[in-house]
Order: sequence, then C-alpha cells, then structure tokens
Amino acid sequence: MDSKTINKLLKIILITLVISYAIDKLVFLGLNTMSDKVMTGQAIGKLNQFLTIKDSTDFLVFGNSRANHHFDMDLFNTKGYNMGVDGTGIAYTSTLVSTLKKDKPQLILIHIDTKNFFDKSYDGSDIRGLKTKFNRDENITKALNKSNQISAIQNFYYSMNYNGNAISILKNYFKPSYDYRSYNGYNPIIINESQKPMRDALLLKDNSVGCEEDFEINPIALEYLKSIKTYIENSENKTFIFVTSPIYDDSCSKDNNLFKGIMKDLNLNYSDYTNLFKEIGNDKSYWKDKTHLSDIGAKQFSKFLQKELKTQM
Amino acid sequence: MLFNSIEYLIFLPIVFVLYWLFKSSYKNQNVLLLIASYVFYGWWDYRFLSLIIFSSFLDYYVGQKIEAAQIKKNKQRWLLVSLCSNLGLLGVFKYYNFFADSFASTMSSIGWQVNDLTLNIILPVGISFYTFQTLSYSIDIYREKIKSCNDIVAFFTFVSLFPQLVAGPIERASNLIPQIESKRSLNINLLKTGIFQIFIGLFRKVAIADNLGVYVDSAYANYDIHNGTTLLVATVFYAFQIYFDFSGYSDIAIGSAKLFGFNFNRNFNFPYFSRTLTEFWRRWHMSLSFWLRDYLYISLGGNRKGIVITYRNLMLTMLLGGLWHGSSWNFVIWGGIHGLFLSIEKYTFSALKIKTFNGFGYIYTFIVVLIAWVFFRAVDFDTAWSIISKWFTLDFGSLFIGDSNAFVNASLLMLLGLLIDLRIFRSNTPLEEYGSKFNIVRLSFIVSVIIIMLCLFYSTAENFIYFQF
Repeated sequence: MDSKTINKLLKIILITLVISYAIDKLVFLGLNTMSDKVMTGQAIGKLNQFLTIKDSTDFLVFGNSRANHHFDMDLFNTKGYNMGVDGTGIAYTSTLVSTLKKDKPQLILIHIDTKNFFDKSYDGSDIRGLKTKFNRDENITKALNKSNQISAIQNFYYSMNYNGNAISILKNYFKPSYDYRSYNGYNPIIINESQKPMRDALLLKDNSVGCEEDFEINPIALEYLKSIKTYIENSENKTFIFVTSPIYDDSCSKDNNLFKGIMKDLNLNYSDYTNLFKEIGNDKSYWKDKTHLSDIGAKQFSKFLQKELKTQM
Repeated sequence: MLFNSIEYLIFLPIVFVLYWLFKSSYKNQNVLLLIASYVFYGWWDYRFLSLIIFSSFLDYYVGQKIEAAQIKKNKQRWLLVSLCSNLGLLGVFKYYNFFADSFASTMSSIGWQVNDLTLNIILPVGISFYTFQTLSYSIDIYREKIKSCNDIVAFFTFVSLFPQLVAGPIERASNLIPQIESKRSLNINLLKTGIFQIFIGLFRKVAIADNLGVYVDSAYANYDIHNGTTLLVATVFYAFQIYFDFSGYSDIAIGSAKLFGFNFNRNFNFPYFSRTLTEFWRRWHMSLSFWLRDYLYISLGGNRKGIVITYRNLMLTMLLGGLWHGSSWNFVIWGGIHGLFLSIEKYTFSALKIKTFNGFGYIYTFIVVLIAWVFFRAVDFDTAWSIISKWFTLDFGSLFIGDSNAFVNASLLMLLGLLIDLRIFRSNTPLEEYGSKFNIVRLSFIVSVIIIMLCLFYSTAENFIYFQF
C-alpha cells in the first residue's frame, strides 16, 4: 500500500465519519421531532401517551403482552391506563415504575409471567424497548446506562435509538392508527371466524416442556423485582399488586409455587391466577392461544379481578 | 468470530494495519495472516484448530508426493490418501450420525433392532468448505493443472485465510496460492471496491436477511397451524433471506480479502434473475457449483459418455451437492429436485433446439427454486411435505402477519435489496467492481447512508445460515 492509497483511505474514513455523523444527527432530530408527536402505535405512541398521563391516572397496569391483552380497563370503574407492551419483561416494567411520581396516590398492577422469572436466558434486554428515550428521560437513561444494554456505538450514532421503529413512527405520524384520546392502553384480541381453526389448533398443540428438576430464579429478573420493592418502600401513597393471569393448560406448578414463596419473602402482594379458568370453568372462546386470552376471556378475567380488587380500589 | 460482530470490527482494522506495516516482506505478511486466521477461527472453538492444521499438513505433504511420483499408479495412491483422509474427516464429523441413524431406521423397518449408534459429535464450523478447498488442491496437482506448493506457511495460509475460512467462497489453489506466494498491493481501485462490497454485504445480511428471518422462523416453527398463504409468503421471504444472508457473507469475505490485496472469485451473480435452472446454478454459490462441476460431474464422465450417463451424472452431482449442505435427507431431496429439473431442462433444450426460455423462464425458475427451498428450510421431510401439501390442496386463507412492524420492515427492506440488485444487474458492472464507479466523496456518502440504515434496521441473528454447513 503506497502513501497515495493510505491518504485516500484516511480521506474515506474521515469523510465517512463526518457525513455519517451529520446524517445520523439529522435523522435522529427528525425522528425525535416526529416521534414526540406520535401518540399511537405500540412501539412509540403507547409509551409517549403513558409518559404524558402517568401522573394523572389512578390505576396503571404494567407487564408484557399478557398484561396488554388481559386487562380490560373499562371494567375497573376507575381512570386507568394499561401500559402492557408485547415482548417486554420485568426490566422494562421496573424502569417505567421508576418514572412515576412517588407521592401521587395510585393503584399499580404489575403482571408477572412466572415462566420468565425462571428463564435462564433472560438478560434484561427488554429494557432496550425504551431506547427511544435514551438521553431524553432522566430515569430511563439512568436505567439504560445501569443495564449495560446500550452499545458504545450508540453514543456516537444516536439513530440506533430508533432501531426497528423508524417506519412505524413515520406511519403513525402521517396516519395515526386510532384516536389516542379515547385509548386506555388495553388491546383486546378479537378472534374472527377465519382465525378460529388456527386458535383451535394452537390449543390442541402439545408444547409442554415438562417440569425442571431445579428451578432457579433468574438473578437479573430478581434484581429488577427488588428494585420495584425499593420503590414501593419509598412511595407510601401507592398500592402495588402483583398478578399472574390465567394460562390455558399449565403443566407445571412447581415454578408458580416457588415464585409465590419468593414474593412472600419479599413481602409483596401477589396473586396467582394461572389456573383460574380451570377452577371456575374454561371455554375455548376465552383464548387466542395457550397463553393469551381473547377479548371474551379478558372480559371474564377482568370482571373477576375487579371483584377481587374492590377492597383495594 | 462473526463478520457482523463487534469483535470483527476491532479485529479487521488491527490485522489490516499490522499487515501493511509488514509490506516489505510478503512472507512476514503470510505469517501474520496465518496467526490472524487461527485467532479468527479459534474464537469459535480453539480445539478444532487441530483439524485444520491436520488437514493442511496432510495435503501439503500429499501434494508434494503426488507431484514427485513418477508413475501414475503412485500418483493415484497418494491422491487416494488425500481423498480418504479429507472425506473421512468430513464423514466422521458431519455424516456419522446421519448414516448411523439411517442404518438403524432401515434395520428396524425390517425387524432388526439396533442399539443407538449415534455419537455426541460437534460439527466443526467451516469443515465442508476447507475440506473441498484442500481436496481441489490435491486433485489439481494430480491432474497436473498446478504445481505443488513448497512454502508451508503459504499453503497453511491458503487453507485457513480468514475471510473465506468458515463459509467460503471455496477458493481454488490455482487462483489463491499464486497470490499468497507473491507480493500484494492495495491500490485505490481495490480499496474502493473492497469497502463498497463489505458495507453492501453488511446491509444485505444484518438489515435484510436478519429481518426476513424473524417472520420465516416464526412461520416455520408453527407450520402446522398456518395456512398455505402464510407459508408461501414465509418461503418467499426465506428465498430472499438465504440469498441476502449468504451473498452478504460472501460480499464481506470478498471485500475483506481485497483490503489485503487478494482477489477472490465471485460467489453470487444475481441468481434470481435467471431464466433457467441451469443459469441459476451459474449464478448461485458459484464457487461450490463450479467445484461440483469440475471435480465431481466431470470426474464421473460429464456429458462425454452418452445421454443416459449424462443424466445420471447430473442427478448424482446434485444429490451429493445436496448432501454436502447437511446430513439430512431433506438436503438430498433438495439436491434431487434441482437435479431432476436440470435434467428436464437439458432434455427440453436438446429436443426443442433452444438455448434458454423466454421471460416466462424467470417465473418457472423461481417456482422450482422456491419449492426446493421448502425442503432446505424445513426441519424434516414431514414438515416440508405438510407445507407443500397445503399449497397443492389450495389451503389458502388470510395471511398471518404477526408483529406488523417487523413484517413491514422486512418487506420494505427486501424490496429495497431487490431494487439495489436490479440497478447493479442492469448496469452490467459486477458488484465486485461496482465500488470503482464512485469518487471518494460519493463512496463515503454511500457508506454513510448504509451505516445509518444499519443503525435504523439492524436485527440480531445468532449466525450466518451457511455456518451450519
């Protein structure tokens, strides 16, 4: 390689760094401007709406897709918002809880997926779902930095914060999916006639993996659970309830019992409704698949839960 | 070490700088490349370095013996040593469990119960690639197409050169060894084309293929509950996933090699723009298809021994080509479908006295390739058959989208990838030389845009699809 080629190579590297840095900041600012105005869609809109109303709402639900689809907020007779987001876990939930004002009286329901707490591969990467607020929200930035889920490159190329979300932001910016003012965060799963055969096949499918000999709680998940406990201890005006919603056919109760013990040790208010429909009567129409309730099932569950929670609301 | 990892992002510049610091001696550069290649491979599992070293040493020695042998019988004997050893290693590590399992099933079907013969064997990454590379070296010396290599470091570097070590392109000794045994230089043209190809490859792999893979994995994992429409879309996605994944890998490999002054052979030439299956195989995984043609098809007699033998050779080559990909009957069937249609094409061309099909050929070729991909992707025969049955029994219904955001991203990126391909294809400039069209500012701008696209759309996959072969 002669000096001429070295010069050209250095020029390419330098120009690329400058241009890519400039484009990155333009894209980032553009997406920031747009995303701040986006109030619809599961990726960004729901989070934006939550951050806007979180301290003026009496009742909040957190959790993954099962929280998102299982708690019909209209049935709880109070002003509430369902902040369940598909594909998220306790890291995401814990971070969102940390953004709440401590002195505001609120009922907080946190959905727990017991299986996730014993998943050895869980690494807390669901917190990356909040990366659009990195360096833009103090609590979220603090949690993301602590989690080590932000790559070093992200500190140079900010547009990585919008990885996987850019098209959704554009779509919801120009054509909002729904009227967010009347949206309470609950997303019912409505099973139409053509989807029924698929649902029936899913319910018949045997995907049980059996009971492990030694269930061990995932240390990362436990750490996030403990950080919620710390938050609870410092916010006396809030009532926290932890709930596991029904599963169609749970073949192993060992993990559930272990988890109940852990929650008892942590002195957290926990109710496990995994086998609720087995006990009060099950119906195929309640389900979308073995772990997700349809709108009909969600109504049944929410009504039941509402009665159970009456004393605390 | 994966090309799309942070480790490689650090590894490549370090090796690059050290390599050109040694520019006064290509022999020192070879030593550095050899060490770097072993680090690159050992990053995955250092224990399997012993296999590469053994294979390299064996063919280095055998190559010299073949050349030194005075009579043909002795040459054949040494060639046999190379064939048996290399194919033996491949047989043990890649096919032992497959044949043991098949043997046990056959025995059990005729009433003989055989104890479980399968062993817990790990498949060493890249074994199929470097075995074919060393085999071609010995065969070429036997055929007196090349001279044996007398520089042990150069030969070991030829076998293990890191850009092509784990998933090709399968480089011929006649192309690569002369480059290793001479002084390399990096001119501006090589630099520009190399950088362009690395970034195009990254985009193809990380943005397009990995996003398509999300939908494909989900649909194929639950094939029993999905209808024909969903499985058709998933298979179309898979056709492009595997193309962008493997051609992307090849692009990064070829581009990386250029930065060290090496010219690798082309591995993909827009295969889905083919009007016949014959043309498809001249454009798809070219280093393997040409290898199979030169060392298997021609060795079997090619088309020189009459029409029946020609078809037999074609079929056998494709069946073994299928088996090369993996130890499963699905790969054999995949090869069989290609062999069958290649034979039908050959017959049709000779009967109708035509050389290719018209525009309809693009659709015909894609449909055949698509059906064959089902066997390639499905975990077993029953799964593949169930998917194809849904199409032929017209079990079509509404499309399952799943995560709509991921589906839209994957579809748009696939479309963008196709448009880029179409543009390069119509320019009549190979992708390998396309980067030379740009001046430095324009090239930097294109690379910058790709970087931002990667930031916005990267998806994380564990591996490159062809690593499993």
